Formats: sequence, structure tokens, C-alpha cells
Amino acid sequence: MSSDLKPMLDGIFEVGPPPRLLGAECPICERKFFPKPIVCPHCLEDVKEIKLNTEGTVYSFSILRIPNMLYKYPQPYASGYIDLDGDNIRVYGLFDPEKTEEIAIGQRVTLKVGQIGIGLDGEECLRYYFTPVDGGGK
Amino acid sequence: MRAVDIIGVGMFPFGVHKTTPLVEMGVRAAVEAIKDAGVKPSQINIGFFANMQAGNLTKEFTTGQAVMWGAGVNKVPVFNIENACTSGASATTLAMMSIASGQYDLALVVGAEKLNVPFVPLLNPSMRDINVLEGNVVINGFAQRAVRHMYEYGTTKEQLAMVDVKNRRNALLNPKAKFFNKPVTLEEVLGSTMMSDPLTKLSCCPNSDGAAALVLCAAELSSRYTTRPIHLKASVLVSGVFDEWPDMQTFEEDQRAGRTAYETAGLGPEDVSAAECHDAFTICEVMHTENLGFCPIGEGGPFVESGATSLGGKIPVNVSGGLLGKGHPLGATAAAQIVEGVIQLRGEAGDRQVEGAKVFLTECMGAELRGDAKTCTVNILTV
Ligand SMILES: [Zn+2]
Repeated sequence: MSSDLKPMLDGIFEVGPPPRLLGAECPICERKFFPKPIVCPHCLEDVKEIKLNTEGTVYSFSILRIPNMLYKYPQPYASGYIDLDGDNIRVYGLFDPEKTEEIAIGQRVTLKVGQIGIGLDGEECLRYYFTPVDGGGK
Repeated sequence: MRAVDIIGVGMFPFGVHKTTPLVEMGVRAAVEAIKDAGVKPSQINIGFFANMQAGNLTKEFTTGQAVMWGAGVNKVPVFNIENACTSGASATTLAMMSIASGQYDLALVVGAEKLNVPFVPLLNPSMRDINVLEGNVVINGFAQRAVRHMYEYGTTKEQLAMVDVKNRRNALLNPKAKFFNKPVTLEEVLGSTMMSDPLTKLSCCPNSDGAAALVLCAAELSSRYTTRPIHLKASVLVSGVFDEWPDMQTFEEDQRAGRTAYETAGLGPEDVSAAECHDAFTICEVMHTENLGFCPIGEGGPFVESGATSLGGKIPVNVSGGLLGKGHPLGATAAAQIVEGVIQLRGEAGDRQVEGAKVFLTECMGAELRGDAKTCTVNILTV
């Protein structure tokens, strides 16, 4: 992976290896969040940064077949919701562009980071994505 | 709180109006509504203008005052409302509150939108939204709901396509629906370009231009202007939950807004004669019929297949053509749903008239945050 590429947004994930999503936990109500909120919206207290689990299960997904020029994603690409193991949190993410047709509800996935599309500044950037691992799915 | 009636409606046809400016569409709808109500523009006490994209697409802002004055309304308070697809219903809720409070007697609501401009990007609520940065666009959010709904309840892509076939057929009976001029077949819907599985091009509402307007009046005064007021029994607006556990297989916002609206009106889903809902994508209507209580959760697919939501069925849905049949001029859409309710309850809907309609429900939903609808509206009208 080219090391001069930057994440599409700061403070969302660690590039690694191993890559980790940066979430948050409220010290009062113990709710977990992704991404990190400004304060806990339930308690209005500062939250502490945590590293989220890297494995999970696909809850739902979509495959966009038409071009999305907004961030120049591959065509087609899959994205959707993943229930992270242990963290009691459902996060949104891209799926491995090489394995679009393997994505299914119940598919087990693991976190990766790589160059996908462009960022807010129009430059190529790093994004997190989930790739299928054995088990679950169809 | 005072009861509120709708005494006038107007609509600039939904279609492609490349050479008609946004303000002109709004003015024409407003003039029709004011004349229909039998009031003078100078009698209007307050105005609400709904629009979503003028700042982006035609580089206009604070458009409401120009629209209102075009229809002869000046000096009075005018508010410009943006609440995505529900903007027109959100404006109606504010108009109702302003009259119910006793502060104003006559309110004008206008929703207008111009989308047929040279370049319209894929809609997304914010470039910095993490879900958008990770590939979510509006159609994906609904495709994810469709995928989950099919997985959980066995809904078929044919059932989804039937929503479009029905609404396109209804639109042909509506003289204000100008976007299409022919029906579609199930095969055409299923065989059109795949956009975001399982949603094909014809499973998505097109971008149309148009405007819709309403004149609301304190019920105790409406007999001065009309002999056939339509009662606005409930006008409810809610926001999403936005927690860390988004649910793709139900519309919690529909359930919550619907419950409040039914309780306020003293009615239930079994009392509803006909409804308009936010069928931006075929899956939406299937889910709305479930979450508004017209059929059990998970049975929206068989419900449309049974013909229950067709004209002449148990509860006709989107008899105006809906968003799929008329197109979706965002800020005008939810106001036009209420216009359809008034026309149906007056018995003036011609070939698409729902026989004996007494209670009409309109539902709209707009934009997404963390997998929930940002905004959801339910209005209930009665004769
Ligand atoms: Zn908290």
C-alpha cells in the first residue's frame, strides 16, 4: 500500500497494519459510537476514543451498478451495514471492490484499508472496506 | 387549539418544464389555490414556501417572498422551508400550527421545485457524512432496505415492480401528471437498466418540475369562503432516532408519526379510504403500506399483488400516480399529496376518483442520517 495516500477523513480509522476503525465510548452511559460524536448525544459528556472490533456480519447491502462520480468509486461497487462482533454497533462501509458479487446478508467480513476513489480534495485517498472471510453468507 | 380546514388547492402540472422558472411555477399554483379558496391575496395572513434544491441547482434563495408576491401576497410573514422531500408537508404543519394557535386565520402554503436543469448530481445529504464518504447515495439506502425486506419477508422483485406498474397506470388518469404519457408493463420495469440491486431505472421516480399550493383557514371561519371545506385533522412531523442500530426492514418513523396522527384525528388505519405515500422507489410504498398499518409488517408485497392498493381495491394508494407516476419535484411533492387528498375528498378526481372517500392519509419521508429518515410527515384529511 502506498504510504503517501491519506485517509478520506482524519480520525476515522488507523491505517495499520492492522487497520482499525476509531469509534468512541461514553463514560457515563457506556454507549459506543462510530464515528466519534462531538459529545455523547444522550449525556452531553465528552466521549473517549476506542478501537472497534475488525470482524462482523453483513446486515444489508447494495450494489450500485451506475457510475458514482462523486468520489470516483469503482463501477460497480457494494456498500452497506455491518454488525461488528462484540461492540453492539452497526456501521456503514464499502465492501471489497474485487469481491462485489460475494456479498450477501449474513456473510462474515473483516476490515481492510486501501486506495478506493477520491477524497474531499479530489485526490486519491485511503478508505476502509470490508472483505469476505469464510463462513456465513449464501 | 382551533380546528383547521383546507379551503383551496392548486397545482402546476408535474412534468418537464425546462423553460418555466421556479418562481413562475410556484406563482401559478398559488394563484389557482387562492382563486379556488375564494379569498383575496390581501386576506392571507401568513405564507410558507417549501423548496429543497434551488440554492444548489438554480442558485436562488429566499424564494418564497418572490412567489408570494407573484400571487399578490406581500407584507405578511413569509417563511422559507427546507425539509427534503417532506418540505411541502412540513410547511403545511407550520401553517396549521399558526392557525390552530389563534394567531393567524388564513395561511398560504406553496411547494415548488425545478430539477430539470443541465446537470443534476446524485443526491446526497452531506459530502462529509461518513456513510456518503463510504459509498451511500440515496438509491443505495433504499436498495439496502429492499434487499433486507426480500431476505426477511420473502418479498419478490415482481411485487416491487407491481408498485410502479400501478402508479404509472394511475398517473395516466391525472391531468396534472405530465411526465409520462404511457403505462409500463412488469417486464419493462424488471428489464430496465439495473441501478442498485434490485432497483431498476423504472423502480425509481424521475426528476420532474412542478408546484402545489394550499390555502388553510381557521375552521370557524371557513364557511365565509366555501361550502365544502376539507378538515385537516392531523398534521404530524417527526425526525428519526439516529442511534447506533439502524433498522432497514421497517420505517419506525412512519409508525411513530402515524400513531400520533391517528390518535390526534381519533381514527385508525381501518378508517382510511385512500392514501398517498412517498414512493420514491418501489420498495418505499411496500414498506409504507405496512408501517402505516394498512397491512401487517412483512406483507406489503402480497398486499400490492392482491390489488388491495389499486384503484377499486381495499385502500387505493398513490391514485395521483405517486412519485413514480408524476415524478418527484422535491419541495412540491408532499404539498401535492395533500392537494390530491382534497380533490379526492371533494369527489372531483374524475376517472381516478376513489368512490365514497371520506378519510385521506398522506405520508412523506425525506433524507437520511445514520440509516434513519431525517424527516417524516403524516397528514390526515376528512370530509
Ligand atoms: Zn452517554
